[in-house]
Order: sequence, then structure tokens, then C-alpha cells
Amino acid sequence: MREHLTNLWPQVAPLVAAADRPSRYIDHEFGAVRKPDADFRFCMVYPDTYELGQPNQALRILVNAVNARPHLAAERGFIPAPDMCDALRREGLPIFSMESCAPFGEFDVIGFTLAHELVATNVLEALDLAGIPLRATDRAEDDPIIVAGGPCAYNPEPFYLFIDAFSIGEGEEAVPDALELIRQLRLQGASRADILRALAAQDGWYVPSLYRLRDEAAAQQAGSWLEPAQPGVPDTVVKRIYEGFATSPGWEPCVVPYAEVVHDRLSVEVLRGCARGCRFCQAGMMYRPVRERSVRNIVESVKAGLAHTGYDEVSLTSLSSTDHSRIAQVLEQLNCAFAGTGTRISLPSQRLDSFGVDMAGLVAGQKKGGLTFAPEAGTQRLRNVINKNVTEDDLFAAIDAAFAAGWRRCKLYFMIGLPTETDEDVKGIASLAQRAYDRAKKAVPPEQRGNIRMSVSAALFVPKAQTPFQWDGQIPPEEARRRAHLLRDSVKYKAVDVHWHDPATSFVEAVMSRGGRLAAEWVETAWKRGARFDAWTEHFNEQAWRDAADEVGLDVEAVAQTSYEPGYVMPWAHISTGASARWLAKERYRAAEEITTPDCTFGACSACGACPGLESGNVLAALRVAAGSNAVGDGVSAGPPEACDGAASNARPSRRNPYISLLAIEDDCAQENAVPEPHGFGEGGGPQ
Amino acid sequence: MTDPANFRLRVTFCKQGRLCMLSHLEIARALERAVRRAGLPYAISQGFSPHMKIAFGAALPVGVGGTCELFDLQLTRYVAPQKALAALQAASVADLMPSAARYIEHTAPAASVAFPKSTYLARLSALPEGGVVVPETVTVVRKKKEKTLAVGEYLLGELELALAADGDAGDASVVAQLRFKLESKPTGSLRPDVLLANCTDGAGNTLQAATITRVAQEA
Ligand code: SF4
Repeated sequence: MREHLTNLWPQVAPLVAAADRPSRYIDHEFGAVRKPDADFRFCMVYPDTYELGQPNQALRILVNAVNARPHLAAERGFIPAPDMCDALRREGLPIFSMESCAPFGEFDVIGFTLAHELVATNVLEALDLAGIPLRATDRAEDDPIIVAGGPCAYNPEPFYLFIDAFSIGEGEEAVPDALELIRQLRLQGASRADILRALAAQDGWYVPSLYRLRDEAAAQQAGSWLEPAQPGVPDTVVKRIYEGFATSPGWEPCVVPYAEVVHDRLSVEVLRGCARGCRFCQAGMMYRPVRERSVRNIVESVKAGLAHTGYDEVSLTSLSSTDHSRIAQVLEQLNCAFAGTGTRISLPSQRLDSFGVDMAGLVAGQKKGGLTFAPEAGTQRLRNVINKNVTEDDLFAAIDAAFAAGWRRCKLYFMIGLPTETDEDVKGIASLAQRAYDRAKKAVPPEQRGNIRMSVSAALFVPKAQTPFQWDGQIPPEEARRRAHLLRDSVKYKAVDVHWHDPATSFVEAVMSRGGRLAAEWVETAWKRGARFDAWTEHFNEQAWRDAADEVGLDVEAVAQTSYEPGYVMPWAHISTGASARWLAKERYRAAEEITTPDCTFGACSACGACPGLESGNVLAALRVAAGSNAVGDGVSAGPPEACDGAASNARPSRRNPYISLLAIEDDCAQENAVPEPHGFGEGGGPQ
Repeated sequence: MTDPANFRLRVTFCKQGRLCMLSHLEIARALERAVRRAGLPYAISQGFSPHMKIAFGAALPVGVGGTCELFDLQLTRYVAPQKALAALQAASVADLMPSAARYIEHTAPAASVAFPKSTYLARLSALPEGGVVVPETVTVVRKKKEKTLAVGEYLLGELELALAADGDAGDASVVAQLRFKLESKPTGSLRPDVLLANCTDGAGNTLQAATITRVAQEA
């Protein structure tokens, strides 16, 4: 805990002036928060450049959550672009935070959000630029405590050497609570080791240095590769969830960037979680149970957010926004409130089976960009295997609705290399895309048919920790290329184009996703050999990763490609999303038999274990009704949702599923349509 | 008196401090957002992609600041200029702060072309020994093509060198100021930072400019 932070700006300014895009480094945006009076400082780092990191929701949420506490201050940190990293090294200057332009090394705690597998070497780049020892065991008492969270914390082992403590699950409460604890202990003069021991005793915190690695036989016997090395350290770390999510406001302050960033718009999180149960999807397992925000909350949040930020576009974010039980009402009210103001309302993830004519109409008042749908697999058989509960008819109905409503471009996402995939499934992708194109043509007037574009994007399947497919190996890169070529050659239509990524990066992702502790040494060695910014095609250094594997003796092919019997104990078995390993194995067996499992938010509980295990449950704004019908507005059909049927009750359990409760009626049914008047000039604008 | 049915508000603002490093496009986007935050009744263009009716003054290069930058905003109804200004100020960051607002004729030329003559003030961190030597021509690269500009076509009058008062602009390292006026032509313009980078002192050393600021724009 330092008296004050060093302001590096005078030294950094000339480098910024000479850098590519100076606006990445200057801070001073509208909405940036400073808390100079705080005595305990946290730097929340997104391990990539500003353009990718600034829009990140976790960064925004956690900076706000920490700043809301007395004594604590949070700043933002990003990785300078490669030209700036090199310039800092040349000048002997450290990596710096945004708000205070202070060296990372002066913060009490640094947090990294591990958004995807390919940020690993950038974490090391940041630590090195900060002058902080890469390995946790080499850090001195005074060095910042390095914490991390996010999707990759669900298999933290490839990061275990570098991170002092991992926050598993949602951080809204876990992170500020932990910072307060660390502050108290620091004030009492506690050592680093004492602090880490205290953290390990908190729910949802994993401190890798307090565990011993078992050998394979012992691991299979014990059900975990890691054994607590001290009393008071849990065998299994279960994720934290933010219980207050559904009733917390969807609007919270955010920074409005100057630089053009990847998602340069307001985002309002309308619901968290998705229980569709796609068997390859880590997010679907990570964020259970499902929690919806109310219509009023969402609508008021959008109004407040637009008025405070000055954005002209809002994205209603979640894993699957059209699944929201009252999404139609949300869209109707927003369309009405912002008619004629030039404000765009976008839904980032369109569900095939809930994108009907009504939904097309509700998002149709807008400029029509490309539409994206994700059938994921080309045949019904394989869609059943992966539990993607959509049919060809769902796709065709969505295409009919969208193209009739004016869309002309559509992108279809698929995966290749999914468990049990055959050449027939690959050819099925081509066939499905071509038939989708035929449907689009029929829905469009003849003179406009030349504008129709259908593109197919094929990603290589990456087995993800904590999913039913965690036991399935990835197909080798050569085989991936063969299948991609088969797909390309099977597409005969000129208007349908096919894109795929080189499998080399997906291979590294698979190793990171499934690796154990040795993978951390591999990451460290790859970084030393020059790997950084691996998610950037132009910087991805395959050779560095190959050479690193040889140097540390890691059989990366085995890590990425070996398939195990469901039930085999994997290196992340000590981390739990709440969904039990037994249930994951059961799902894998059902996949083999091509049996699907329904979405529990639409009906019966399928016993994944998350709700009882986390002592929680799904919270919905209204009962969800059969596929597609959430897109039908009030007064159309689909009946009045139960939340509005007059029998007001807080958290009333559903008859169908004991783990579904409904938001209280007073949280919902907002009818106010006026745009707020922040400065007393009435409506924000109108056509002239 | 302006046409009562026409509400074309000309706003003067500064670009200073770190925000000098923003590009013209970034400034434009930031100002549009400030207008929306201010809640002003701005007009929206009709058409496929509706957007705010706002027009920006002559662009400043990245790294160059300004004390009297301009944008014109079309409103749908009358708002007293002082009220509009106060709302804009409440919605703006310090380094991009509006300082004045007034209505202008709808026939008035656009802010981007109305004021071709710009006066710049460069703050120097070293006194140029033996005065400032201005080159006759400056070579610039535009769209990958080299182009030679005759400085005399753009530079109006002389460069005026003055010793800086102590603590100029809060920066003790500034020892001298250089004031000069450039005119932009329909065919192109000479950037102030480019001109300075090509000037030398009597011994042939390049000048050490701490900041460059546009301090006046004239017709
Ligand atoms: S426990 Fe049941 S209701 Fe809860 S998320 Fe799992 S399957 Fe759904």
C-alpha cells in the first residue's frame, strides 16, 4: 500500500505521440473514474489492446464494483500494441495503468481477465513489462498480488505458475470482498503467504501454490489431480455466482472511448446464463443457472445508458438474448421509445428457433447489417449429438422471416471436427447452406436476388474444460484442413462463400483448454521464444509454440487430441461450475446415442446439479414458452406471461421445475416510453 | 437576425492537453456523443442511415491543439444559446470543452471552409540560436506520392519568435513561443507540425516544439 502512484505520463507522452493510434493510451475519456483518496489500489487488466479490452463487460463491471467500495480504487490496464511494447522496453519504461498512468508494479493487486486461451502469453508480456517476476514463487513481499478470473479460470492449470489466486465464477462480489480482505491483512502487516492462505479459505478462490500434484493413478482414484497441501484449503473450488444479478440495474456507468473499439456501443446485459445445453459450449455450463432481468429494468437501463453515454446504439447482450421470456416486450417498448431518433437497437446473438416473423419485425426498424445464425452442424444427426436443438425447418423459417423483412446477408456458423463427425456431416454443411440460399432467394423480389449473400464460417472444434465434450480429442490439423477442403469443394453456389481459420491457433487453444500444470511451463517458454498477441493472425508465432513443446517435453498432440472415457478425471476436476462431473459424463453418453436433453428453463430440470450445488436457481421474468414464442408480443398470442397475471408473488416456483422462480410483478411491466430529459430539452432529437 | 425557423448553432470549443492526440474522426465522434449527452434537440438526416446533422470545422492534425475550434449543429427548435452551451459544457470533458455558442444564418458558409487562415502558436523547449530558418519548400508524402509544397504559398507574413513568460501554459520547460499564420488553399494545405519539423535554428538544428496550438481562425 503506497502513499501515491507515480505518474509516468511525462515520460510516456513522447512515445504515445509517436505510436500507432495514440488514443489507445491517453485515458481521459468521458466516464473514466479517479479515486485519488483510496489507499488500496487494484488494476484490472484485459490482456490485449485497448480496442479489444475497453468494451469488455467484465472489465467494466469489476472496475465499478471495486470503485463502489470505500478505500478501494480500481484502474484499467491494457497491453500496449506491439510497437508500444517495444518502445517501452527501448526506453526502459514499465507498462502503465490508464487513469493514473502509473506503473503496474505500484498497485496492490493486479487482476487479469482470462477471456480466452490465446491471451496467455500477453499475461506474461504484461508482467514482464511491469518488472514483476513471471512466477508467483519468485515474487517478493512488496510485489502486487496477481489474481485472475474469467472463462480460462475454469481450467486454471496452464496459468498456475503465474497467478497467485484465481477467482472462479462471477466477480461482482467476490473481487471487491477479496480486495477488502487483502487490504485488512496488509494493514495488519500480514505476509504474502498469510494473505494467500486467507484467500484460499474464501468461497470461489483457488490458490494453486497450496496444492500438490498427484500422479495419474492417485488422481483417478481420488477424483482430482490436486491435493490440498495444508489444512483449510478446499478439495474442490466451486464457482461464485452473483445472486443479485436479476434485480440489479442493467445500467451501470461506463467509459465512452475515443478510439474506435470492437463493440463501440452501449451494452445492457439482459440476462445471464443459457441452459440450452449445447454439449461443446463452456459458457452454457459456466453461467448456470439462468437469470433474467425484468422488462422495466432493461428498458430503463437502456434509456439511462444512452442518455448518460451519448451512444446512438445499444446492444442487448447475453449468451442468447432472444431466449429472454419477455424479449418481445423489451423490443416493442424500446422501438416505441426511440422511434425517429436514429438510435439502433441490436441483438448480438440470434437464436434460430426464436427468430420468427415477429422478431424479424421487431428488429427490422433498423439498418440491416448481416444476420448471423449458428446451426453448428450440417446434419440433424450431428445436431442431436451436440444437443443443438434446432432443425432445418427452424433455420429455413428464420431465413424466410429475415429475408422477407429486408435482410440480404446472412452468416452461418458451423464447427468442424465435432465428436462423431463424418464426411457426410461435413457435406451436410454445404447442402444446408445452399438450401438456405434457395430459401432466401424465394423470400426476396427477383430484382434484388443478386444482392443475397450467404457465408459459411467453419471453426475447428476445441474441446472445452467443464463440458460434456471435455473428454473428446481435437482432430489433428491435417485432418481439419482436409475436412475444410471437403466443405469448400462441396459448395457449388457462387453466392455462398466459405471461411475457416487456420487450425494452428485452434490447436494451441485445445492444448491450453485441456492442459495440466506442465502447460504453464510451455506457455512461459513460448513467450520467451517470442510468442505474444497469439489471437492476432499477423502475430501468431506457431514455431515458438512448437519449439517450446520440445523444450519442456510436453506432448502437445496428446494433450489436444487424446480422447478419454467419460468419467476419466481431467486436470481441472478440482474446479466446479456447479454442474457435476457425473452429469457431464451422462450427457456425453447421451450424445453417443444421439439423444437430446431439453433446456431446463423451458421445462423440467435435467439435474445438472448447478442449482442445488450452488443453492440457487433460475430466475425468469416470466415463464418461458415453447421455442419461438418468446418473440410474440403482448396482445398477439402465447398468453399473458405468468408474472403479469395478477397473482403477484416474489420468486414463485414453477410447477414444472422446482429450480425456476419468477421475478416479482413490481419488478416488471414498465410502460414508460419517454426518453429521459437529462438537461431539460425534451426528446433527444427528431427527424426534420 | 437569423431566420427564426432555422436553428443552426455554431459552437466554439477547445482541443487541448492529451486530447490533442485525437484524430479528427475521433474528435467528431466524441462531439456527437457530447451533443447527445447534452440532450439537445438535434436534427437527424433522413435516409437509409439516419445521422445527426452536425458539421465540423477545418481538421487539426493529430498532436495539434486548438483554442477556437468549431462545429455547427442543426437543432429542430430554439434553445437559448447560453442554455445550449451550459448543457454541452455539463456533458463534455475538460480538454474538449465548448466555450461559446451562437446561431448563424443557414446560408453562412460551412465552418470547414469559412476560415482558411489559421494562426498557430508553437511553444518551444529550446531557444533557437540565431533565429528560425524557414525552408523554401517542404516535401510531404500523400497517398504514397511525394509532393513538394512551396512554403510561401501557404505562410502568411513572418514567423514571430518571442521569449516565453515564466511558467508558460504551466510548463516551465517552455522558453520561447513561435507564432505564425498559414492559409489553406482549395488545392491543399501545409500542416503546421510539418512546417515546424522542417524549420531549423541558425545552426541547422530542428526546433523542439513542446506543443502546437491553433489560436485563431479567420476568413
Ligand atoms: S439444476 Fe436443473 S434447473 Fe438448475 S441449471 Fe441444472 S438442469 Fe437447469
